[in-house]
Amino acid sequence: MLKDFLEGKPLRHPIHPMLVHFPIGLFILSLLLDLASLVFPNVPNLVRDSFYAMLLGVITALIAAMPGFVDYTDIRSDHPGKRTATAHLTLNLVVVALYGINLGVRSSSLADPRISIGPLILSLVGIVLLSASGYLGGRLVYDEGIGVGRHKRRTPTPADTLHFSAFKKGDGGFVLVPEAERLGENETLRVKIDGQVMTIAKIDNQVYAFQEFCTHRFGPLSEGAFDGFNVQCPWHNSCFDVRTGKVTQGPAKIDLKTFRVDVRGGKVFVGVSR
Amino acid sequence: MKWLLNFLKGTWLGHPLHPILVHVPMAMWPGALIFDLLSQWQIGGNAMVRLSFCAIVFGLAASLLAVPTGLLDWSGIKKEKPAWKIGLYHMILNLVVALLFAINLGLRVQTFREASRISGTPLLLSIIGTALLIASAYLGGRMVYEYGISVARMSKKKWREIAEAGGANLPEE
Repeated sequence: MLKDFLEGKPLRHPIHPMLVHFPIGLFILSLLLDLASLVFPNVPNLVRDSFYAMLLGVITALIAAMPGFVDYTDIRSDHPGKRTATAHLTLNLVVVALYGINLGVRSSSLADPRISIGPLILSLVGIVLLSASGYLGGRLVYDEGIGVGRHKRRTPTPADTLHFSAFKKGDGGFVLVPEAERLGENETLRVKIDGQVMTIAKIDNQVYAFQEFCTHRFGPLSEGAFDGFNVQCPWHNSCFDVRTGKVTQGPAKIDLKTFRVDVRGGKVFVGVSR
Repeated sequence: MKWLLNFLKGTWLGHPLHPILVHVPMAMWPGALIFDLLSQWQIGGNAMVRLSFCAIVFGLAASLLAVPTGLLDWSGIKKEKPAWKIGLYHMILNLVVALLFAINLGLRVQTFREASRISGTPLLLSIIGTALLIASAYLGGRMVYEYGISVARMSKKKWREIAEAGGANLPEE
């Protein structure tokens, strides 16, 4: 419940990217006020204002960290964006620590007409690291699709990719997927069998297997939402019939590859033909 | 001309430019409201009045660049898509918000150097402006997180390679 809330599911919009506007904007404002205090030392209160802007920046950054951390834990461990996310998280912690030190250093000289060199350098370094980190955060959304369409999904998304080989088992290209027996309704697995990446989903008490990647921009269907026998890509809402792989709603135009599923004595076997 | 489009779309950066720029007004204007309220509660005095003034100016300056980038991103959406209409509302609301804060700034310009608290009309304008801004920003976020606008636009090639390596059916390039 708390996790769903911090992921912004009730708002149908992730919360972390809403909140980060505040520290980013306020830290930049604080630097501008520092610079203004050097150019216009006769204007009163610039150093004090910079301090207040920075203080509000740190407070909002700490608030933004909470949903950010939840978003981080929800990224599949072998997702290509996971490393970017780790760098983003680490950089942000460094930035907040730097601004915490910065506040401490400048707190005793708020009445100065000009900002002194130590806190100014800390602010400059802070902005450089913050820009880098903010950029990585943006790449997570726009390149990796993290958080995009996540609120449409009602069941948990796979935490990992399961790896299997069909040919070692020598079972006519069929491979036993034990985890599939424990799937609940509208739950999915992300499975890789000899290089073939697929989603295994349980819908209406039947198990279906189809290619993982949407045929539009290749979004992750194992993180898709289900409506009857339709799987909806989280990124641009293309829909496919899981039984046949056929496109039921664009923008995708090409059908999915589907795979045979055989249930023998309660055990689930998935067929990969070559 | 092509370099300008490239610049405004953020292609050079590998990241759409509009959602980067909007951080500034999105932080500055609610920030201005917070500083206004603090001055009302007699915290910070003239420092808060000046800080609020600076925040509104900085927000307006950044929104000047956010407008052309946003307009260009919106013009790339097909008219029959639901995101087109949301984008239109987002744009209209943003123009109203920017106008409100410009008027707000005009009302403060005479007094911000001396005043120790903000008067009623500018405060009211900050409240209305911030409320509309939050609504508008929410719509902007919906375009990304519900409809995937700009998502996987610049990373299409990378994802195609990953999908190809994963044995997927692919459309022709």
